[in-house]
Amino acid sequence: MTDIPENDVPLARVDWNSPEQSARLKKRYRTEKIFKSLAVLSLATAIAALMVVMVSIFTTGISGFTETRIELDVTLDANVVGDIANMSRPELETHIASINVNNILVRSLQAKFPDVTKRADVFALLRLFSVGAQSDIRKVILDDPTLVGQTVPISLLAGSDVDMLMKGNISREVEQADRKITDQQLAWVDQFNEEGKVEQGINWTFFTSGDSREPELAGIWSATVGSFLTLLVTFLISFPVGVGSAIYLEEFAPKNRFTDLIEININNLAAVPSIIFGLLGLAIFINFIELPRSAPLVGGLTLALMTLPTIIITARAAIKAVPPSIKEAAIGLGASHMQTVFHHVLPLSMPGILTGSIIGMAQALGETAPLLMIGMVAFIVDTPGGILEASTALPVQVYLWADSPERGFLEKTSAAIMVLLAFLIIMNGLAIWLRQKFEKKW
Amino acid sequence: MVNKMNVLNVNEGQTTSVQEPEPKMKAKKVNVYYGNNHALKDIDLNINPNEVTALIGPSGCGKSTFLRCLNRMNDTIESCRVEGTILLDNQNINDKKIDVVQLRARIGMVFQKPNPFPKSIYDNIAYGPRIHGIANNRGDLDEIVHSSLKKAGLWKEVHDRLDASGTSLSGGQQQRLCIARTIAIEPEVILMDEPCSALDPIATAIIEELIEDLKSRYAIVIVTHSMQQAARISQKTAFFHLGKLMEHGDTATIFTNPTHEKTKDYITGRYG
Repeated sequence: MTDIPENDVPLARVDWNSPEQSARLKKRYRTEKIFKSLAVLSLATAIAALMVVMVSIFTTGISGFTETRIELDVTLDANVVGDIANMSRPELETHIASINVNNILVRSLQAKFPDVTKRADVFALLRLFSVGAQSDIRKVILDDPTLVGQTVPISLLAGSDVDMLMKGNISREVEQADRKITDQQLAWVDQFNEEGKVEQGINWTFFTSGDSREPELAGIWSATVGSFLTLLVTFLISFPVGVGSAIYLEEFAPKNRFTDLIEININNLAAVPSIIFGLLGLAIFINFIELPRSAPLVGGLTLALMTLPTIIITARAAIKAVPPSIKEAAIGLGASHMQTVFHHVLPLSMPGILTGSIIGMAQALGETAPLLMIGMVAFIVDTPGGILEASTALPVQVYLWADSPERGFLEKTSAAIMVLLAFLIIMNGLAIWLRQKFEKKW
Repeated sequence: MVNKMNVLNVNEGQTTSVQEPEPKMKAKKVNVYYGNNHALKDIDLNINPNEVTALIGPSGCGKSTFLRCLNRMNDTIESCRVEGTILLDNQNINDKKIDVVQLRARIGMVFQKPNPFPKSIYDNIAYGPRIHGIANNRGDLDEIVHSSLKKAGLWKEVHDRLDASGTSLSGGQQQRLCIARTIAIEPEVILMDEPCSALDPIATAIIEELIEDLKSRYAIVIVTHSMQQAARISQKTAFFHLGKLMEHGDTATIFTNPTHEKTKDYITGRYG
């Protein structure tokens, strides 16, 4: 050591201006540039894929929110309607429900097209209109009984085939045999169209009614209510149980092999395919406890089982993120362990817990497979009035419609997906909002 | 050697009292284990009322561990095991019959890093009295908040913004808020774990003044890494080394005439 003279030690070991160094620098810049562009590329791919899905759903689904109506001069024949002059409102309602509106419609159509006389042709003419058209006529009579005996223009709901034709989903170029609409029907529609009697409007039925065999009458209201009731049950069960478990595991449970085992199992459960939870729900809630099939109660319980691991994991992470100094401060002041948890730890972790729960709920809202297993896939028209009544859910409704052969259900499927996506966006937006609003900084 | 001692500015006048008062706390044969690690070995130490006892020693010597034994804060560490007797007014605080929550109300603690609750200044101070049922109505609570802030020398700075978050204060103010929070429940002993280590010299001076004031009402135990601070504010000093209590006694004696070689090395800055 001592025989090396001090002035022989080089001051700088690297010559920063040497060609090797500038080459190294260039190489580093190049690598960074390549990495950056790769990252941008992957992001672009993800966005493009998302856009393709969204655009495809949007372009198919947007027409699901509109309907086609044909205006027709309807003669409200007093002989068919009967004497309703002195009827009270409830009597009127029952009476109107029983009158032969089909007869009125057929006669009005024959009045417009006098040359259509053959039975088959009359049926073909009638098929331009939806069965919902009868309700339209009934509604006009109910709203103003004095119209009976007169001929009034009524906007009648068109059948799904006409609707599809007007939206351009049925091509005129196709051979008649391969087309849902005959040449004759085409001619009638064109005649209505030329007279300016065909119009497009917002399809309120879609938002207010339940499922139907007829695409133009099918709606998402009962599925939405079913989803809401199911999620309500899911939340009421999984939130308290999940948060309670998380608090116990994080704050009170001794750290030993048993709790390690529980933790591993919870993490595992979060990755179990949802259909397994469906089978579990079927076996336990329906076969063993004998709860009613297709009910939001059973669906909610099953989805609660599925959501629990998500809530427990996120709640534990949120609780763990509370700084130990805050806990020490409370304990140092003589707060009991429980007071520390409920006065400080829980309020501080609540934004995180709520965010996790809402994301778990959003997952449950979009879940289909377990609901298929417990019978929520049935064709249900009525809106469920409680958690014990048979119902269906939004994603299951999408599944059911996607399975239907009628062309009209295609746009309904996409429209229902759009509604489902809207709910999901609202829920996730709520999660972000909650997090930003209540997040405390220190 | 002697020159260096002068720099430390020992406050000799207060520490040479002949009559020792009855100790507020007595630690007898305290042993602490973290798992298999024997962290504290046979500690015997008395803590007198109305005095500041400074615990000094190199990092990892066990002074903070000992401090945390005094209000059983170590209970919260799962692997930690405490043996021996610690008496508070002749009552063993490690006794199973002792309620640890009440004990911690009697022995307050101020931490190294200021840790106000992310609540308003008012709620920070009112929290202790609330959970212990000290104040029965809003008036009493207002009075406690007022007097605690005054005692902690924070009233003038925050009286017009008691609703502001405790975390919005500066570091030194936060630490004084934590002290105010501690004295709001009228403890008998205050433990301070390096209360000034995260603060600038001006804030440190204010806190040291505050400790000087508080001494008249409470027994204070302070862990510190600053020799100057120990010399300035304490009446008794205990020097810890590798889990052992090497030496303890009047601050003046320890700093001017240490008996142990290790103590001498440490306080002169040759070691640690």
